[in-house]
Amino acid sequence: MESTEILPNDDLRTDEEIVSAVVGGEVDSFEELILRYQPRVFGMARKYFRNESDIEDVVQTIFTKTFQKIGSFKQTAPFEHWFMRLSVNTCYDALRRRSKHREQPVTDLMFEDESWQNRLDNIPDPDDQESLDKASELVHSVMVQISDKSRIVLTMQELEGRSIKEISELTGWSVSLVKVQAFRARKEMRIAVERFLKKEENL
Amino acid sequence: MSEKDNQFLKIAKAIPLNEQSPSGFSKRIMEEVRELHARETTMADERFLKLARNMPLNERVPYAFEKRIMAIVRDLRTENPFIIWSRVLWKAVAPCVGIMILTALLSFNHSRSTTDSQPLLSKDNSEENFEIDTADFETVMLASFDDLEYTW
Repeated sequence: MESTEILPNDDLRTDEEIVSAVVGGEVDSFEELILRYQPRVFGMARKYFRNESDIEDVVQTIFTKTFQKIGSFKQTAPFEHWFMRLSVNTCYDALRRRSKHREQPVTDLMFEDESWQNRLDNIPDPDDQESLDKASELVHSVMVQISDKSRIVLTMQELEGRSIKEISELTGWSVSLVKVQAFRARKEMRIAVERFLKKEENL
Repeated sequence: MSEKDNQFLKIAKAIPLNEQSPSGFSKRIMEEVRELHARETTMADERFLKLARNMPLNERVPYAFEKRIMAIVRDLRTENPFIIWSRVLWKAVAPCVGIMILTALLSFNHSRSTTDSQPLLSKDNSEENFEIDTADFETVMLASFDDLEYTW
């Protein structure tokens, strides 16, 4: 109950002030950070995972890791950068762990009700949940065919419109590695899309 | 049809069909086909990206999710005593290493000062001293057995 009693002036606190309070022993202040960042973290996790329970697991890991490592946060850079980097790395670790069990053949990812070509051309209507679900299914089908590193880079570069430098800062990978990965990601994506289209032609 | 025309047709029909294709013709066609296919697939992946970019960001948070995290965080706060113990042990590592180095230095200095003040072994009589030392060692080692004799 005590965690819901957030004072009005608490909204004015900066991330760094909240972090200092948490490090100083005010554990309840951590809830403010959760409330502040959870929509963004859920949004990010949904780009990499489809299953809602997987998404919740990852977000939970991100916040518990943040709490455990908050003492190591040096206030030289904004908390947001540190936190987003931790979030991206946790997502990447989770993707790697899950990819060990992921072996889905292309035929399992074909749609029964509609052709792949048709779905590719249907830009989803934000108000139509069905079209959104269909588009999400298609995007996921392609994304699971791409390696984890490439998937991270492709999502950040092509879908979020981040620069190579930003991706490098967020992932902790070198600029040259991100560049190479971006090239590979594009190629892997092209191959995955092509594979689906070819499969459909042969059916 | 005049006679001349018929003759021309005859000659024309007599010419054998030349099915020979220019060298490298199939390669040229295949290059074009590949280019066309690549353009099509590129378009397909562009279409895919367009679709993926148009997916709205879903930032919905499950009900009372922060409460769940806070419960976990509070559990983390009540730490395992073994973790605390290991942390204390790690903290003790630095002073222990310091004491070890200090003791080693002191003992090294002490042994050096005794060898400097009492030069027992000289180069000339080192063999003799070695014999004496061995005898002393034997006496010390057998002292306990000597005592055992008296107990019988």
